[in-house]
Amino acid sequence: MEEDKPKPRPIIRLGLFLISHSLLVSVVCCTAGVLSLLLLPVLGKNTYISENALMPGSARPMLTNDDVSEGERFVNQILSFDTMSTGMEIPKMITDHIMDLGGEVNHHKFLPQFNKFHPLHFFLGPDAGTVPENYSCLSYGVNTVGIIRAPRGDGKEAIVLVTPYNSLKITRAEALSLGIAYALFSLLSRVTWLSKDIVWLAADSRHGEYTAVASWLRDYHTASFGDLKHSEICAASNLPEMKKMHNGFRHAGTMAAALVIKVSNRSTEFEKDALTIYAEASNGQMPNLDLINIVNYLAVHGQGYRVKVEKIWSLLNAWWLKSLGQLIEMLGKLAGSLNPQWNFGIPVSEYVECTATLASSLYNQALGVPTGPHGAFRDYQVDAITMEISPKFSSSLNNRQHEILLHVGRLVEGVVRSVNNLLEKFHQSFFLYLLTSPSRFVSVGVYMIAFALLVAPLPLVAASLFSDATKSNPDAEEDKFACKPASTVQPAPTSTSWKWLYAAKQVLIVHLWSAIVTLLPYFVDQIPDSSPTTKLSIWIVLSIITLLFLDLFSGSSFPSTCRSRDTEWTLLKSVTVAAAFIGLCLMSVINFATAEIGALLLVPMCLTTVPLRLDNKVNTLRALIRGACNLIFIFVGFPPTVFFVLKGALEGFDNMRFGDFWNWAESLWSWNSATYIYMYENIRLNCRRQVFAWMSSWWYELFLGVLTIVIGLHGWVKIMVMNGVDDGGCPLDGRRLRLGCGDFSWEQVPSRTELDRPERSWTVTELRTCMKRISLYSHRAQMIAPHMFFLAWYLLRFLMGASNANGREVIDSRVPSKATLAIYCRY
Amino acid sequence: MEEETKNKINGKKLGFWKWAIASVIFRLILIYFPQNLNLSSRPEVSTPVTSLRRLAEGYWLKQLSMSPYAGSMYHGSPLLLSVLGPLTAIKVEGQPNHLLCSLVSVIADFICALLIRATGCILQTAHGQNLKSLGLETMLEDIEIMPSGDIAALVYLWNPFTIFTCVGFNTSPVENLFVVLSLYGASAGIVPLAAFGWVIASHLSLYPVVLVIPVILLLGYCPDTPPRKLFLQRDFQKTGAERSIKNHVQERPLTNKPAEATFFWWRVILFFLWASIWIAYVLILCAISVKEYGGLPEMFKRTYGFILTVKDLSPNIGVLWYFFAEVFDFFRNFFLIVFHVNILFMILPLAIRLNHRPCFLAFVYLTISSMLKSYPSVGDSALYLGMMALFVNELAEMQFSFFLFCGYVGVSLLSPVMHNLWIWRGTGNANFYYATAMAYACFQIILVVESVSAMLNHDRKIRKQCRTMEG
Repeated sequence: MEEDKPKPRPIIRLGLFLISHSLLVSVVCCTAGVLSLLLLPVLGKNTYISENALMPGSARPMLTNDDVSEGERFVNQILSFDTMSTGMEIPKMITDHIMDLGGEVNHHKFLPQFNKFHPLHFFLGPDAGTVPENYSCLSYGVNTVGIIRAPRGDGKEAIVLVTPYNSLKITRAEALSLGIAYALFSLLSRVTWLSKDIVWLAADSRHGEYTAVASWLRDYHTASFGDLKHSEICAASNLPEMKKMHNGFRHAGTMAAALVIKVSNRSTEFEKDALTIYAEASNGQMPNLDLINIVNYLAVHGQGYRVKVEKIWSLLNAWWLKSLGQLIEMLGKLAGSLNPQWNFGIPVSEYVECTATLASSLYNQALGVPTGPHGAFRDYQVDAITMEISPKFSSSLNNRQHEILLHVGRLVEGVVRSVNNLLEKFHQSFFLYLLTSPSRFVSVGVYMIAFALLVAPLPLVAASLFSDATKSNPDAEEDKFACKPASTVQPAPTSTSWKWLYAAKQVLIVHLWSAIVTLLPYFVDQIPDSSPTTKLSIWIVLSIITLLFLDLFSGSSFPSTCRSRDTEWTLLKSVTVAAAFIGLCLMSVINFATAEIGALLLVPMCLTTVPLRLDNKVNTLRALIRGACNLIFIFVGFPPTVFFVLKGALEGFDNMRFGDFWNWAESLWSWNSATYIYMYENIRLNCRRQVFAWMSSWWYELFLGVLTIVIGLHGWVKIMVMNGVDDGGCPLDGRRLRLGCGDFSWEQVPSRTELDRPERSWTVTELRTCMKRISLYSHRAQMIAPHMFFLAWYLLRFLMGASNANGREVIDSRVPSKATLAIYCRY
Repeated sequence: MEEETKNKINGKKLGFWKWAIASVIFRLILIYFPQNLNLSSRPEVSTPVTSLRRLAEGYWLKQLSMSPYAGSMYHGSPLLLSVLGPLTAIKVEGQPNHLLCSLVSVIADFICALLIRATGCILQTAHGQNLKSLGLETMLEDIEIMPSGDIAALVYLWNPFTIFTCVGFNTSPVENLFVVLSLYGASAGIVPLAAFGWVIASHLSLYPVVLVIPVILLLGYCPDTPPRKLFLQRDFQKTGAERSIKNHVQERPLTNKPAEATFFWWRVILFFLWASIWIAYVLILCAISVKEYGGLPEMFKRTYGFILTVKDLSPNIGVLWYFFAEVFDFFRNFFLIVFHVNILFMILPLAIRLNHRPCFLAFVYLTISSMLKSYPSVGDSALYLGMMALFVNELAEMQFSFFLFCGYVGVSLLSPVMHNLWIWRGTGNANFYYATAMAYACFQIILVVESVSAMLNHDRKIRKQCRTMEG
């Protein structure tokens, strides 16, 4: 019927052309995708303030030296406390001061919540958390909340200032940040222009800064006080003379914006004071760009600060990046000489710096762990950032206290005044962007191009494989339902178009398996008193058992005697690649950075894989290369490998332990990070893929897609149900992961009795040392270099595959050598 | 969704009952986690018309002797309110809320699947006998005929859409049940049952009104056949020797004289008679039920009026809400007419073209109305996908099946994500969500177009074979 049809329409012809040249197109697209990713720093635009109502810097700062002196007195008073036995001295002092200013104040008591991973709650968002049984009154954190009611407002909106401090052992830097907030608060209690309430949250960070802010936000939005049945008893012991204070939970309106103010102990290496902005919240969410813009604008133009965002420092010295920058600069100059309008070139140093910033931005978003206490706000749709001020010289905190208070106070005042002008929520500017420097950004429209180019080959390859599979062997199509020899009576083959159902079923089964294995850590975690290493081993063993089980169940529903068996893998690959495509697209909407990194790993994997048995039959150089590529990609795509290689690069290979991966994964999952799913999926898919690749050809392709789809799917399910109106916080297991200065550390789990210990906070520059320290904490851990383990495993597989190739059991290579585990026997 | 198809394809050894019972058990497990799954508040699952939470609200109002329609909460039938309302109020100690309603949904789903299976059996018998009477027995031998009834029932039961609808506190399973009941009654030739199903289904959700044409065709002719012209040609050429085949056919009461294009007027008249009886009955019951609250006019205004004038513009997976949120008020009536006439426009041409396959025609109508109705939910998709599986044999060569499958999977995953980006994260806007709704509508269009063309191709193939046999 098709032969006599007229020429199809141009768009269909174009599609057919693309499909027929899918190899070329996919290579071109992938290269273009990677190149455009590297070009992103060049394509970044300068930021601009999009919301006109903000009007930053239009008013003269009102913070006077009197306010600052008051703030200084406040700081000195805080620092004059010698012993802080109960941790209530500072809250009391803050309370008194706020009441003197005429603000409202209340204390918010909270316990660190131990969010146990629960399979259902992982998808649904955090539950209330469990309060540990044996706590003492001392383990309560006490946030102090001061509120100024706006003279010109109706109490429906508020701006939040957060100053985290450790109530048990306060440092000068933290005292300074409290002083800044106090100076500002005293000013704001007098001004007439305020139309949004001001909330000052002095967050008690003895359990971690994030925990304090998150638990306050949770109570603010749910208007429940938790199940602190014993709070009265503790209140009696802790707060005896607070009778005159209102004891209930005080509310202001919905939050328009939140600023976390921190002062750093470290000095900068620059000649100016520096302000570091942290913006990444959970799962790669970012605050509205306008908030960063006004802070940046006021800091640079108003107070003469040097504004920074995080970078990956090691990239700054990378030779390849420099040469790439030179190339781009050259090209830019060339283009500029041809036409002065084309001035896209940027200097090498700027390019390298932008790339390092972009990489850090991507990394933080992909990890899905917030870079500071501001992350808690984003879960309630409040735009928030952390501003960290680092002075010029390290000793200058004492000497230049007044100056720092004045400048930062004026900066924050300017930001508050701008936000105060807002009529609506932040909505004008971008929510989806990557920062390349504080004043440059890459918007969603630009970075999506890079991603689209990268994943564009997937549907093409799926389509071309699908059309190959359905058209190339018309005689085999008859055998779909019954594997009898093709009958020639019927010229029209039966249900060509539904042949993919088998492949879809295989993919579905693997997805099911991976979903089960994703939930396994919950049960593994129930085992008391086991080291991460044993947990990880139990987990691996259980996963393998489940795999065996599911295979028994699903049975070999493939018609194993079919002639079409050898070509079946093309269909399977097609389905997997399509699933991978769907998964990646989904993920790109949820968390772009994860999707981009996932695509970088997955797309080459999807495109190159071919059953090794086929390759082995051919025995050409090309096949060999392809096989080698397969191996490399599988190895690279295996999450533990990635994890250990990265970690090794950061802190040296000598400190590695087998159990580290468990710890890391655990921390990811306690943050509800979508990356967690990616990691886990990747593992088992890859395993699976690897195992079967050597055994039977059609199983081979499946494993790719599973991981992506499950990334997408789980993130999706989680996100879909997670954000009910009143829940949706990011549960932090305070024991496992603590935040300090924007880096998260693999900290050893302390016992519950250790909870009262002050928090160790890791700084950026101390990263290496602290990692080493952390590694030393674990005693029972074994010093196995895990990559060796995996390598050995793969080698084993490889040898088996080679023996198959040598001939005797090429088709029925179901019985592997005795070296394999028992589960493979049925193949 | 398609997996079961495959299981069945592999042969009967897997067993229909095993899988059906497994699906029921799966549902029973799921309804123990209703709070966790939170499905009843998803816009994809429950609409203003079908939501059971709204029904519970209406029942509560009625208990307070207020009009159940007060406050624009409830928009369903008063009959449903009297039947399901008490169930929503009963709380079993220690069990999740709405347990009884969920059980009703599970039972409705199960019966629905059984009815689909029975319809499939009838269709298949008719199909085989038609082919025999055309002298195409070879066709039956060459291709293994799949048990389409079993496949369709299992596709219906295991379709994730059906499961979500069933678990998500909805009246959709009940509505679907009556639609299927009417089609079953019509294909089995049980006129009162067909009329009952049709009247109740139309009463509950209005759109099944258009099914009157397939039902009449089913009753007037018989279940789906190849084009009638073929039989005429065949009869014309045949001698009396072939009468034996016809006699053989007549042994089955369900497929009366498939070889002759007679139209049983008396059955149609009977159908209308029964239908009017049922309508009168339903209206009387409704009138009694809403007597104190404004009577029947109020009920019509609050139920059908609500559906037709698209009052509730909260986002759903349909295409109307966005449009009517944007359109100027003075154009509103015009566009209301345009959108509803859209459904009506397609009825006649399709009825003419597909009049020899009334069941398939019903499937096409259901798809179109689920695409263009004012408050669509995935429950509608569940119904038409189950119906589609009745025609596995005919649609075996459907084009783009893989593309459609990927599209359905992709859209059904993407739509909640977009909704989340818009409503909860605040980083997206309404266009994000509406884009997925449009993509969903497009996939439904492609599904209709491709399935109809596959069906017509199948008919062409039969015609060709008839010709080759003659020649």
